[in-house]
Amino acid sequence: MRLKEKFNQLKKKGKKAFIAYIPFGFPDIKSTKGICLALQEAGADIIEVGIPFSDPLADGPIIQQATTVALNKGATISMIFEAMEKLKKSLKIPVMLMSYYNPILQFGRERFFGRMKKAGIGAVTIVDLPVEESLEYKKTAEKFDIDTIFFVTPVTPSKRISKIAKASRGFIYYVSVTGITGPRDFNYSSLKKHIDILKKKTSLPVCVGFGIHTKKQVKVISSFSDGVIVGSEIVSFIAANHSKNDFLKKLKKQILSLKGDG
Amino acid sequence: MKLPDNRGYFGEFGGKFVPETISYCLEEVERVYHKQKKSKVFKKELDFYLKEYAGRPTLLYYAENLSKYLGMKVYLKREDLLHTGAHKINNALGQGLLAKAMGKKRIIAETGAGQHGVAVATVCSLLGFKCDIFMGQEDIERQSMNVFRMKVLGAKVIPVTTGSCTLKDACNEAFRDWVTNVSDTHYLLGSCLGPHPYPLIVRDFQSVIGKEARVQILKKERRLPDYLVACVGGGSNAIGLFYPFYKDKKVKLIGVEAAGFGLQSYNAATLVKGKIGVFQGTMSYVLQDSQGQIKNAHSIAPGLDYPGVGPEHSFYKDTKRAVYGTVTDKEAIEGFKMLSELEGIIPALESSHAIAYLRKLSKKAKNRLVLVCLSGRGDKDLDIVRQAQISADTKKRR
Ligand SMILES: Cc1ncc(COP(=O)(O)O)c(C=O)c1O
Repeated sequence: MRLKEKFNQLKKKGKKAFIAYIPFGFPDIKSTKGICLALQEAGADIIEVGIPFSDPLADGPIIQQATTVALNKGATISMIFEAMEKLKKSLKIPVMLMSYYNPILQFGRERFFGRMKKAGIGAVTIVDLPVEESLEYKKTAEKFDIDTIFFVTPVTPSKRISKIAKASRGFIYYVSVTGITGPRDFNYSSLKKHIDILKKKTSLPVCVGFGIHTKKQVKVISSFSDGVIVGSEIVSFIAANHSKNDFLKKLKKQILSLKGDG
Repeated sequence: MKLPDNRGYFGEFGGKFVPETISYCLEEVERVYHKQKKSKVFKKELDFYLKEYAGRPTLLYYAENLSKYLGMKVYLKREDLLHTGAHKINNALGQGLLAKAMGKKRIIAETGAGQHGVAVATVCSLLGFKCDIFMGQEDIERQSMNVFRMKVLGAKVIPVTTGSCTLKDACNEAFRDWVTNVSDTHYLLGSCLGPHPYPLIVRDFQSVIGKEARVQILKKERRLPDYLVACVGGGSNAIGLFYPFYKDKKVKLIGVEAAGFGLQSYNAATLVKGKIGVFQGTMSYVLQDSQGQIKNAHSIAPGLDYPGVGPEHSFYKDTKRAVYGTVTDKEAIEGFKMLSELEGIIPALESSHAIAYLRKLSKKAKNRLVLVCLSGRGDKDLDIVRQAQISADTKKRR
């Protein structure tokens, strides 16, 4: 399923998107498939799969540690595509990729988007590729009909927001804090103000990520945006529980609880 | 052609490959830098500190014994005589004054060897900034004296325990701190690396090396040198020397990278062995594996131990304006000893790479005029050289 379809579906039901981030290959290569299916069963609306990178500039310690583990286990981009191709039939919800630019550059842009298409992955966001540098990448993505998601932050000037909105497809990723990934507290009213301004400039859905780690935050932030992305909280839950009995069952319960359905 | 262009590109290299939040941080630095660059007051203040505090201009010394030994005419640009013992202070003073103009209260920096960290801590003490230095845990252990120096100067040294626990990880951590605290904090990057405008700013502040050297050599020899030689870590002392000679096409530019254990083993020869990629904000040559993951570098010289290189050097390489050679750990130590024994000047291990390269150059450049950047002094490296000596001796005895 594509993002557009998903957001339309949610809109009809009056619901907001719950986007679950997991790094590929954590805690090991073979567990990603099971985790994806568990996330779907727990009612995640979109899964964002992170491509591990050796130097994750925008990530806090929780995601850094997880991606380091994944790289030590030998995770590669090809493995991600292989896993996702196998999941294509059973995963009904949209999958998107998140990456830093260099692994994609070395894999080859054409080859990368081609493989995405084949694996049924419809969207990608690149942490360290601001709009100004994205011309070639956008062109190739369009050729393969892949959605490119760009970031807006609390400090992005208004002129830039318009540029970013124009380059984005699927949704706009609003970074909730000036900082890195990892649990945070929020000033909801200021966050809402920023989202309101952003929503005036775009017809795309606006989803909020970075720092969201409690049920309350999910609920409040969803109320004034089109969805939330939860990363570090899920990653630290996986880190703490993956070796326990009934890990996937526990994970499902945790997602349900974060979503406020549990 | 303007180098870099308005988007921060040197040909196909450079740019700003950073998370959206950092784009904002960079825009502020760029705006203030362009304004200050034109300001007479800023220039006057920087010139004052460079002269009265750091000890500029540095000498251009004719190394007669070394020249005789090698059969070339060798001049040394004595950046080692600067306050804090290396060229790093040129950039630290420049950016320190820039941070003042931006109204920042706190400065952060990455350091590998501790040379840049010491320069930044010094400037922060001088100009009254709060100072936090990020340093890989492994480097903290290797360079304990410089860690203590920074502390004496009032800086806080923050150990970095992520990734490979060395310079590149300290850089990542500094960026992470910067995006979180940008309202009161300036990130004082230590080489001509990273996203635009850093490669431009650092090159401009280090160009004082080449500007002085050009005037000095013309005065002493009444002609331009045949060769310029400098070591390349991130590339700031080299670009500082090269840039003012860029248009003098007859002057050959040679950058010397660290071959570490050898080009087929662990090394830091980014331009010679790397592939083009995006790392820490810039498109440049990078030491990386087939998956685009950044490799760990190795050099006995902590200041060269980095898997990236400034984009302007990548441009010089691909346009053939400069050539880049390499020197192994072992050869660097020989260079260290050669200069110490022949001239009574103990060079930094980084600079020893440039010195050691002269041996190779002397084979094809008999009687030529060569100007070398002696980027720093070697006091900080005595322990490393002693350790290397001990392990070489025990190997021999076995
Ligand atoms: C004395 C000295 N020379 C050279 C370097 C390498 O840096 P760059 O290539 O930026 O000049 C360093 C870095 O710490 C240094 O301390």
